[in-house]
Amino acid sequence: MRPDERKGVVAARRDQFPVGMRVLAVDDDPVCLKVLETLLLRCQYHVSTTNQAAIALKMLRENRDMFDLVISDVHMPDMDGFKLLELVGLEMDLPVIMLSVNGETKTVMKGITHGACDYLLKPVRIEELRNIWQHVVRRKFSTRDRANLDIYEECNKPSNADSDHAHGHVTCGSPDQSGRPSKKRKEYYSEEEDEGEEDNTQETDDPSAPKKPRVVWSVELHRKFVAAVNQLGIDKAVPKRILELMNVEKLTRENVASHLQKYRLYLKRLSAVASQQVSIVAALGGRDPFLHMGAFEGLQGYQAFTSSTSLSSFTPHGLINSPRNNPAAFGTQRVSASKSIQTVTGGHALNHSICDANKYHLSSPGNQQGNLGQGMATSLGQTQMQPKWIQEETDDLSTIFSGNGLANSGMSATLQGVTSSPLLPQELVECTQVKVGSQPSVLTPSVSSGHLEGTVGVSSSLLDPRVSQQTTIPLSEFSASGLPIHGLFNNSCATKLGATSSASTPVHPSDDLLVARDTKAGASSFGSTMLLPPDTEQKYLNFGGGNSFKHKFDERTADSLFDLKFVWSSGLSSQSASNIGAHHSISQRWNNSSSNNSNIGARMIGQPSSSASTVAPHAKSDFLISGDMLVPKNASDLSVPKLQSELSSSSCSFDGLLNSIIKVVRSYHPLVSLPQHPSL
Amino acid sequence: MKKSLFDQGYLDEQFCQVEDLQDEASPNFVEEVVTLFLKDSGRLMSNIEQALEKYPRDFNRWDAYMQQLKGSCCSIGASRMKNECMSFRDSCGQGNVEGCMRAFQKVKREHAVLRQKLESYFQLLRQAGATGAATRSIK
Repeated sequence: MRPDERKGVVAARRDQFPVGMRVLAVDDDPVCLKVLETLLLRCQYHVSTTNQAAIALKMLRENRDMFDLVISDVHMPDMDGFKLLELVGLEMDLPVIMLSVNGETKTVMKGITHGACDYLLKPVRIEELRNIWQHVVRRKFSTRDRANLDIYEECNKPSNADSDHAHGHVTCGSPDQSGRPSKKRKEYYSEEEDEGEEDNTQETDDPSAPKKPRVVWSVELHRKFVAAVNQLGIDKAVPKRILELMNVEKLTRENVASHLQKYRLYLKRLSAVASQQVSIVAALGGRDPFLHMGAFEGLQGYQAFTSSTSLSSFTPHGLINSPRNNPAAFGTQRVSASKSIQTVTGGHALNHSICDANKYHLSSPGNQQGNLGQGMATSLGQTQMQPKWIQEETDDLSTIFSGNGLANSGMSATLQGVTSSPLLPQELVECTQVKVGSQPSVLTPSVSSGHLEGTVGVSSSLLDPRVSQQTTIPLSEFSASGLPIHGLFNNSCATKLGATSSASTPVHPSDDLLVARDTKAGASSFGSTMLLPPDTEQKYLNFGGGNSFKHKFDERTADSLFDLKFVWSSGLSSQSASNIGAHHSISQRWNNSSSNNSNIGARMIGQPSSSASTVAPHAKSDFLISGDMLVPKNASDLSVPKLQSELSSSSCSFDGLLNSIIKVVRSYHPLVSLPQHPSL
Repeated sequence: MKKSLFDQGYLDEQFCQVEDLQDEASPNFVEEVVTLFLKDSGRLMSNIEQALEKYPRDFNRWDAYMQQLKGSCCSIGASRMKNECMSFRDSCGQGNVEGCMRAFQKVKREHAVLRQKLESYFQLLRQAGATGAATRSIK
């Protein structure tokens, strides 16, 4: 059948995805190939087979859209299966499943590290093949999230818990929770690489020319990149020097140059968004869609990132102004789980699960941050990383914050990613400023209280230093008390919120309630990095822990979101300990309750006030949480919401985070009406 | 007869799966696959044999070939043969030339036995099919 005809026939069936999914099977063993083909046909997929990897590549290159999934054997005479896997992943970005008789752990590990979506053992059973379509959906969601995937619109997989709250962007929630992080990461990645992606696509569109395989900026690689850039200084970073510092073979100067370009744009975007969104986002932490997706994941990256290094470095950059700086931080909000890859990208990364964030942001301000993020991100993933991450971050953050003076963060835009990037505090500060204005920038110092338990706690530490700084922060008066929030970043969004909420806290009575409520739980997961003043008894800190927060918020549903974001750790730390952990859950929840977010955001804000300066971040902190959730949109009402949104996003890279948060929030909740918290 | 094949361990449940795949669309699927297997495994085994002679102590190469053969056996459910393949690979891993040679002989033997059994199995099937068809037509 000619490709056109085949496409026509296949296209008809594809509407009933997963029926008709087009699979390319590659295996040198004819027996196995035949059995596999028949099995796949039995699953109602459309199958093409070849026993040579070279032919497979040729078929794929001829028409990239001809296949949805590739299944390849590991041992093949003409080309190593892993090599094929890499090439397909790089050039066509298709999901690849490895197949082998050999099920040794190290071989499987190799497959995964080379990018395989799955690894099946021979003999293959039909049950295993029935589910392979999930890999396609997952990848498509992450890469084409923004585009309307009609095909997948109806796919509401039961597992997609998030589908409900998925933003409008995402038609179908991720296939499963577990897939979220990766999806987020992918989203992040694709988001980040958006510009480049298209270019790449155009460049590599020509099948005949053997295109240079596109470099995949893995988390690890991005982290190095970020580290190198930070080391050189964002202004002085030139591709050649970066390349030297990175010391990665097979990486060309051009690769670095284009990545740097993207990264710069990303930072710009973050700052731009951050500044705007500060107010709005802060509250909601509803970071951009990315957050939405992986919300935490992205944050994770950022968080790590934002951690200390970034902050410190950021300050010079004037984190203050734009949460941008913390892009990583915030981006990670989502990351919550995923180690907030790295602060910088914060905003975007969130979705992409930290890794992306890491990649992207890392370069930013703090090389260290990046490392944090990196480390964090690598850790996995998502969700659980937080505690570890947070610790790292908090350390960083604290350093950073202190330097940065929460002032910047006022807005906690960073909240989002809480991510490590110390920036968060700054952003938070910024955010808070917006909102809080009057609020003492409580940010964090109070956090010390114990902050958020593991994750949060970490942040709290960060916050503390920050808090002190905060006073300087123009933003909000956040009382030094603290919004430990930053500390919280660990998880999802260190949501700097803390900062904003500062003293004024009372900002939103409702918020207080919210916060208070949560804090009680200890986990008041403000989600966004609300800089809750440490005083506040943990309310705020919960962010990280989100968990507790969640409990509280159950009503709010948003809680979950906050939790993530709220890694605040500050103050609440005592409570937060649990919260931080909760983040994960929160973030998840976030997705669910977008509306909640708003509440949460509000809540968060409220809480801080209780403590004292509770970081104004109020609203903001939420943002981080699920990104979507907080949609700072309503932030206007609540200064807090903004904070949240900002916070959430800011955690990592304020800029990025904010942007992302804002976006998320916006996109996500048109109604972020934070002020009213029904739950309260 | 099939039962005996299973009982004696010549075939395992993977074979059942393969059989399940046979349907009206591909009525002779099983036989086709088995034929393919027998042919391909013969080829692989002669490869191995050559390698054993031409590349003495080249365990990596031997192992790689055997891996392929093992894959085929797995896909079709030839369990005894698969086991012998595994022991061959173990010997390779240990660097045991003697062990490899012995294992390979066993593999060859299993292969021959399996071929015989499967062929008679299919013959029976064909007869039964013919009879069955005849029976059905009578009914």
